[in-house]
This record gives sequence, structure tokens and C-alpha cells, in this order.
Amino acid sequence: MNESSESGWRSSVPSRADLMAAFATRRRRLGITAGPALIWLALLLAAPLTFMVTVSFVSVDQSYQIVWEPTTANYAALFAGDTPLLQRAFVKSLLLSYAIAAVTTILCLVLAFPLAYLLARKGGRTFKVVIFLVLLPFFTMYLVRAYSWYLMFGPSGVINATLLRIGIVNSPIGLFNYGVSAIIVGLTHAYFPYMLLTLYASLDGLDYSLVEAARDLGASRSETLRDVILPLTLPGIISGSLFVFVPALGAFVTPEFLGQGKVLMIGQLIKDRISSLYAVGYGSAASMFIVVSIVIAFVVAFRYVSIEDLGGV
Amino acid sequence: MPTDNTSQADGRSTSRRAFLAAAGTASVTAVAGCTGGSGTPTINILTWQEYADEDIKSRIEETVGVNLEITKSTSSSNMFSSWNAGQYQQYDIAIPNNNYVPKMMESEKDGGPMIAPVDEEAVSNYGGMYDQFKQFADTQFTQDGNRYGVPVRFGWYGYSYDSRSVPDHEASYSILFEEDYVDTDLSGELVMYDNHFKAMSAAALYLGYGDAFEGSKVSLSQKQIHEVKQTLIDQKPRLQGYIAADPTYIKSLKQGNFTVGQSGRNEIVEMWSSGDDWPAMATPKEGSLAWFESAVVSSASENKTKAWEVINEYISPQNGATLAKAGFSPSVNPKTQQHLSDKENEMFGAIDPSRLGEMIPFKSVENENAWITAWEEVKSA
Repeated sequence: MNESSESGWRSSVPSRADLMAAFATRRRRLGITAGPALIWLALLLAAPLTFMVTVSFVSVDQSYQIVWEPTTANYAALFAGDTPLLQRAFVKSLLLSYAIAAVTTILCLVLAFPLAYLLARKGGRTFKVVIFLVLLPFFTMYLVRAYSWYLMFGPSGVINATLLRIGIVNSPIGLFNYGVSAIIVGLTHAYFPYMLLTLYASLDGLDYSLVEAARDLGASRSETLRDVILPLTLPGIISGSLFVFVPALGAFVTPEFLGQGKVLMIGQLIKDRISSLYAVGYGSAASMFIVVSIVIAFVVAFRYVSIEDLGGV
Repeated sequence: MPTDNTSQADGRSTSRRAFLAAAGTASVTAVAGCTGGSGTPTINILTWQEYADEDIKSRIEETVGVNLEITKSTSSSNMFSSWNAGQYQQYDIAIPNNNYVPKMMESEKDGGPMIAPVDEEAVSNYGGMYDQFKQFADTQFTQDGNRYGVPVRFGWYGYSYDSRSVPDHEASYSILFEEDYVDTDLSGELVMYDNHFKAMSAAALYLGYGDAFEGSKVSLSQKQIHEVKQTLIDQKPRLQGYIAADPTYIKSLKQGNFTVGQSGRNEIVEMWSSGDDWPAMATPKEGSLAWFESAVVSSASENKTKAWEVINEYISPQNGATLAKAGFSPSVNPKTQQHLSDKENEMFGAIDPSRLGEMIPFKSVENENAWITAWEEVKSA
């Protein structure tokens, strides 16, 4: 590099004084540090969400064009029908999605909590080995994992075939057929690490001298769990539950694979409407129920924990 | 000594003229890259997997003088919804099932149909296809004197079964809906298509609503839709599931997950071709639904004539035969039989056209919203 180009390069690099000036005021600091993230969120979250809300209030005409005139017809169409309200497809689909997401969340919590507690108490090499084993399947594609469960379930799947072969049952068990149970197992497997890692972070920050103090003062194991450990790890439980419940509610791939068409979760209902009828207004209105549910879940969560606590510690 | 029009760096100098020449060359190269090189246009196609067969693709590219970029799709509804959402500007050709062509004709873009009328001169093989398909195209794809779609290959739906466990019987949809139609327990051994049109049509034909399929659109009354829905809900406890994709059907039938299933003939022919002789295909007495894939060209295509020439090649005798072999489904052009073996012709290549007359072609649906609502109630029951 010759001297003239080197001096040009140096002159283009901001000096320390320039950098200090750029960060001189609070507004500038905020702009430089949070600005890119805010632009990212505005473009990829706020704008599509605004568009979805808008589209939920418009209609699609006979030539499949969006008619930009406000209407609530899409919301009315969700609940239209001559059957009792709870028997209508959208309502049943929504309630089923809530139920599947709730059971998935509870299963993840029940399965992950003891393991997270053990990891937090043991630490060291045990922690590394167990975490590696837990995360190992997640190095593969989500679709491959869903497909693996597809092979496990079914009347002739690995589970039923094994039970039949060793003579425990005489005919395939319905529980291991495709449907709601298979979907819950698939979703629990998919979202288990989110719960485990969040709970671990929470339990790792727990002051275990409090646990010992409770035991010394005569509390039983269950009383210690109920009165000391659970209240202190509540932020981790809530944040882990949100990380599982929210994606499970709108799940699409897992129910497509493991429901075998006999189960209609809300994501599938929306997809079918849009691909068959180009009913983007109906789909957007239905999606609003997912969005509103998530907002309510966060509002409820914030009643019990602060946003800082949602990190799990 | 550098002159005014020379830049200097690292001891090397470049004249402005040389720089402009290099930039111009780079630009031409870049533009050529967009058109596939040497000015060869690129035709983008959204279609089924078999159309991307390498032999067919290379022959068409050579004959028509284009580059083909083929994106695979697994459903006609996705082709329709993605084009309607704006991808008609990205693709030149789509090849959905015939019942989606009228929907594409109805979809307006920039004040006209989303798809372009057929360039009759470019599709010279059109005259050689079965008369039945010319009639279908005339009745389903023609509007204001313009035809908008070209049939390519076809097949039909009925049901298939494992002949090792299901006794001989008169072919009827009753086997899917009546518990005692055959002398074997089929509870939990049945599958239906995961598609509102195919599953509800089978139920409608079983219920004797054949008249609804006679017009230009399938038109079930509200009462009939309700009966169809109830029939499918009653059937659901006996179902193993609803299946969408052909490979899933074949794999699941081979695994023994079910015994009887609503299916296309091509799935079973594929199994016969791979040496399985136990699957049997039934054409129900109430009527079979015949599908035919039909090619359309986007109104936004900048290479419409070339696009129609590409479609013409897909129904040429040689390429049509290769396509038939790839998907185990016959071409609409009977001359393809010359390029198939006797066994291939027997299994799928040579179809007696009179058989088509007995079948019910896929059609658009009147009041599809009511069909979808009923289907959702079946699925969520």
C-alpha cells in the first residue's frame, strides 16, 4: 500500500473523538444501539402484523382480488354455521389447539423440571453430557424429527409392532395411532429444550441455602418444593411455558405429519382456507385469535413476573 | 506520465476507455446470465415433480431453445393461491389439475385474466390428443372464444385395496361407507383423500348425487352438502386417516397401516410396476372422478409463445411417453403409445378412450365456501 492511499484510508476511519461525539447524547446512543433492531422489528414484525390486521377487515371478491373496504364479515364468518357454537369448525379447532398447546406445555414442564433441577445441583461434567444428549436430536432438521415420530406411531408403527411382537397386546393400541396423542408427543419432543434450558437458567440462580434452611426447619421435600423452590423459580417456569405454548398453539408441520388429517389445528385450518379459496381475509381474522391469545398470555405473565425475570433468572 | 483520463493504483494504470469497455462487457455478461446465456430465454414452470424429469427437460430445452427452471409443487391449490398472491409474475407456466384452470381464468390481474389465451399455432400437438380432452378443454377452459388451458396427462380416482385380505366384491363406494359391505372388518383400515373435493365427491356419488356432476360446475344443494358432511362424519371413526400425497399412500399401504383407501390409479400402477401384485384397483359403479393436468401460461409472461411451445413439447409423442412413465399416468396424446413397451401400454400408456366417457371429469365447484365449511366440520368432528 503506498503512502497516499494509506493516508486516505486513515482519514476515512473515524477518530476516537468522532466516536465519542456520536455517542454523546442519550438519544444518539439509543439510536445507534437500538436503532437497527427497531428497524428490523418494524419491517419484519410490525409491518406484517399491521398488514394482517388490515386484511382481516377486508374481503376478497369473485375474481380473487382484495376489496379494500372495511368489513367485519371475516370475523362473522369464523363463527357462522347452523350448529351449536362449540360445534363449529373454527371454534372446535381453536379450542383443540389451546388444549394441545396446554398439554404440551405441562408435559414439557413436568419432564424438564426434575432434569433441570438435577443439572443445576450436579453441574460440571454431568451437566455437559446430559445437555449434549438432550440437544443431540436437535442437530437434525425439524422435518426429519417429525418424520421419525411418524414411523414410530400408527397401527403398524414401531411402537405398536413391538408391543404386538413381544405379546403385550393382541391388537394395535389406539393411543399409539396417529392423532392428538401423537401430535402432543411430537410437539413435546420439539419444544422440550426451550423449557429445559429456561428452567435450568432459573434453577441455577437459586440460592440453595434457602432449600437447606427449609429442610433444617422441618419442611418435607414436597413442602420445600411447593413453598421455596417453585415460588423462587416461577419466572423461569412462566418464561419456559411461554416459549413452549406460543409455538405449539400455531403448530402446523407436526399436526400435518402426526394427525393424519383426522385432527384440524388452527394453523391447518388457516392454510386450507387460503390455498383453496384464497380467503386471506378469513385467514387473517383467524390468525388474530392466535395473536390476541399470545398477547393475553404475555399480559398474564407480566402480572406475576417482570420482563427482566422472563430471562429465567 | 498518466493523463487526465487515467486512474492509477498499485503501479498499474487503466484508461477510461478500457474501463468503460470492461464495464460494458460485464454488463452484457450479466444480462446474458439473466436470460440464460447467449440470449436464451428462461421459462419458469410451477408444476409436479415428474415434469422435471431430466430427459424431458433437456429435450425440450434443445428443441424449443429455452432454459427451463422447474419449481416442484405438491398441490394444485398451492399453485393457484401462490399465483393469485403475485407469483404469476414470477412464473411463465403452471400445470395444475383441470378444476383449477377456471379459477385462474376468473382471477383478474391488471384488468384481465391472470392467464393468457392459448397460442394455437405454437401448440401443434393439440390436434393429436383424444377428442374427449378437446371437449373438456372446450367446455371448461373456453371463454369469449379463447381457450386458456391445454390438457397434458390424465388419470382417475376410485379406491384400491389389499386383495390378500379384502374378498372379491362389486366395485362400489359402499365399501368406504358401509360396515358390512364386504365380509371382513375394515374398521380402522380405511383411508380417504385429505382434500375436500375428492373426499366429498366420493361421498356424494355414494349417496347417489351423480346429477350434481353433470353441469359445467359441480353443484350440490345445501341439503346435499349437509348429507355428505354427515356421511363423512359417520365414517370418521372407521378411518385410519386422511392422506394427501401419493408417496405417503403407497408407503402406508405397503406398511399395512390400512387395507382399503380412496386413491388414484397411478399409485397402484406404480406399485404394480415395482413388483407388488396384491394391490387391486376398483372403479366404483357410481362413477370415477377423472383428473387431467392442464397447462396455463401467465398473462405476465414475457415469452408466451415460447411457453406454449414448451407445453406443446410436453404433449409430444416422445416427451409425453417419458412423462407417462415418470408418473404412471397416460398422456392425452395417444401417439405416445408408440414410445412405450407393450407392458407399459397395458398398465398405463394405452387407455381405451371409451372408458373416459364413463368417467366424471374434475370440475370447479359451485358454492365452494359451503363445501370447505362442511369439510372443516368433518375434519374437526
